[in-house]
Amino acid sequence: MPIQTHRSDDRHTLTIRIEGRFDFSTHQAFRNAYEQKDPEVKEFIVDLSRTTYLDSSALGMLLLLRDYAGGDGARIELRNCNNDVRRILTISNFEQLFSIQ
Amino acid sequence: MTGENHALRILIADDSDSDRLILKTLMKRLGHQVRAAANGSEAVAIFADYQADIVLLDVLMPIMDGITAARKIKDMAGEEWVPVIFLTSLTDSSALARCLDAGGDDFLTKPYNKVIIQAKLGAFNRMRQMHQTLSQQRDLISERNRQLLEEQQLAKRVFDNIAHTGCLDADNIRSHVSPLSIFNGDILFACPRPAGGMHVLIGDFTGHGLPAAIGALPIAEIFYGMTSMGFSGSDVLREINDKSGRILPTGMFCCAAMIQADFQLNQLRIWNGGLPDGVLFRKGGGRDLVISRHLPLGVLNASRFDAAMDVFHTSAGDTLLMMTDGVLEAENEEAERFGEDRLKHALDVAPDAEAPIDTLLGAIRSFTGEQSGQDDLTLVSLEMVVASQFHEAAERLPQSALKGPAQWYCVYEVRDDTLAQFSPLPLLLHICMEVPGLRRKSADIYTLLSELYTNALEHGVLDLSSDLKTSPDGFSYYYSERERRLENVTGHFIRFALTHSTTLNGGQLTITCEDSGRGFDHGRQFAPESPVDSDSSEAKYSGRGLLLMQKLGHSLCYSEYGSRAEIVYDWALATKQPGVGHE
Amino acid sequence: MNDKPHLDEEALTELQDVMEDEFDVLIETYLKDSSDRIRHLRSAIDTSDADAFAKAAHSFKGSSVNIGAPRLGALCLKAEEAGKGNRLNEAVEVVDAIESEFQCVEQTLKRFIA
Repeated sequence: MPIQTHRSDDRHTLTIRIEGRFDFSTHQAFRNAYEQKDPEVKEFIVDLSRTTYLDSSALGMLLLLRDYAGGDGARIELRNCNNDVRRILTISNFEQLFSIQ
Repeated sequence: MTGENHALRILIADDSDSDRLILKTLMKRLGHQVRAAANGSEAVAIFADYQADIVLLDVLMPIMDGITAARKIKDMAGEEWVPVIFLTSLTDSSALARCLDAGGDDFLTKPYNKVIIQAKLGAFNRMRQMHQTLSQQRDLISERNRQLLEEQQLAKRVFDNIAHTGCLDADNIRSHVSPLSIFNGDILFACPRPAGGMHVLIGDFTGHGLPAAIGALPIAEIFYGMTSMGFSGSDVLREINDKSGRILPTGMFCCAAMIQADFQLNQLRIWNGGLPDGVLFRKGGGRDLVISRHLPLGVLNASRFDAAMDVFHTSAGDTLLMMTDGVLEAENEEAERFGEDRLKHALDVAPDAEAPIDTLLGAIRSFTGEQSGQDDLTLVSLEMVVASQFHEAAERLPQSALKGPAQWYCVYEVRDDTLAQFSPLPLLLHICMEVPGLRRKSADIYTLLSELYTNALEHGVLDLSSDLKTSPDGFSYYYSERERRLENVTGHFIRFALTHSTTLNGGQLTITCEDSGRGFDHGRQFAPESPVDSDSSEAKYSGRGLLLMQKLGHSLCYSEYGSRAEIVYDWALATKQPGVGHE
Repeated sequence: MNDKPHLDEEALTELQDVMEDEFDVLIETYLKDSSDRIRHLRSAIDTSDADAFAKAAHSFKGSSVNIGAPRLGALCLKAEEAGKGNRLNEAVEVVDAIESEFQCVEQTLKRFIA
């Protein structure tokens, strides 16, 4: 499965894990994963440990998530990036918008 | 039977002249050669020169009796087996048994019986011949064995040149590889990655000896080849698993762990399939276990194989220790195994300043009581270091004799419905990777090619407008339209042209991408420097691609009403100075 | 002992067959050796050397048995046992018997080779 989700025990954090390439083909599944309409979810973690590649459409999708999660007040963490993914995020200055680990 | 008719050389000793005469004549009548002695001492003297096949000795003789003579003769025969038969008129069985205990092979009682003598000579001759055959075969086997060992020694040297190169001697790596058997089925490879960091593979083939070592060779090629081309640990694992599955017989597999160390990001990615748990020592104290979560390599087919690696965030000074199961299976004199509990205890009580690998080796050696040279252990420890400490990869990578193409130009065009079925990007990337200097930059190149292609395809050929991507629903509509329009595309093309030339200190790659679309107003598509521009409602979720391209390459320019884009990418030769980070 | 023949005709015939034209030499060798042995027996008694007596008797027994003189062989066995048992007082009587038996054997053998 390219997208897997996981809720924390206290139900406040939603982790979305993306496997393989994060590009336009992932769009719908990614959207379905976070559009839970669940008020309990306060925090998002996007787990990129198994993500091999990120292109510009994926950047757009992350921005969509951020808007959905409250814009400037959103709490989103991008985790476990490999070198290539990290590079693209850095070039695009996404550290200004997301907490990146 | 031929045995009995064969003329033997016989030595007899009897102090009775008449008995000696009878026996000597009897032997001659039977067709054998005979030398006769009157006492044990004479018999021994004769035996020194005379290659007797069988010796017959009277027990009671003056000067030297039969039993003493028998011992001496057996000694003189050495490795050859000379049957000794005692001649006796003793009748009590315990006395006869004592003769045999003393080293005799049989006895002949007086009066001499011609039939019995003939039969016994035949029997003993057969036995003697059989013994000779066995000795010859044993000598042959011994010589073959010696040759085999010699061949194995040579093969091991070839194996070492392939399997134990790379950067095992880097400052932050320590290892111990068993010297016990010439090949013991354990592998330990280390290779730097082009963009920094390194891969380490430690493994343990089922079985040992030549079959295991042979299995390791193609795996070594894959590991070193792919790692130096910039592939990720997961990619290398998939390929190795596939290869192992195909070449190893069923039932033979490789328990292994793959480690991808990234010193810039301070990360370890580890895949453990069947090895004992590894241990990650945190600099400030504390340990994490690296648990085996996967099946060994060579077991699952490609569709079921899971190459996902566990991620550990590290700091400089953290040390990873991995081992094969020779560590847990090490035995002491009472045949107890070292085991997980002793391992844990040894690490618990280790002094702070001691390197974990030394602690563990010391603990095993005290347990087994063996000095190095007899163990069957493979261990590796890797210390996370500050990135600048780890020398530039370019120096250490195995260089090909070929330097790669320096000045070249290629055009590749995709047309009509091939646009829907085939992406030219992997091929174009591969062409660029022929340039050794570009291998460290495969991600950058791919991103440039991909963004150019996406723009050409979506905005050019399919005539999709980025304006659509201004809302979440718009995003969805954009991509479903993309799919729909792609299915019906005709009369269009996308053409890439790549030009490469070398410069004073590296090279330059120019990529152009032209499409058959009606062009677009590229001026409007430039994204602002800052990702969030509250004044502009346009170009919000799109436009990232152009920004990426501008940051990775330079001199991005459009022509032909926007249907032709060109970008230039420079690369520089690695300098000796460590610490050169991203360009 | 007395049921044993002086000479085993069958054994002797076989010996003749094996030895062929050396049969005479064999008999002469045996007869000469045996006279020597009897002398050894007597001197062993004189010197009270029971061990030497037993060994000489053993040797004489062997050659007599081989030549086909069973009764003589049995007498030598008796002498051997007396020597081993250190009963040299019995020995004299046995040696007398041996000598007399030998004379009988000797005569018969000489007729064989005549």
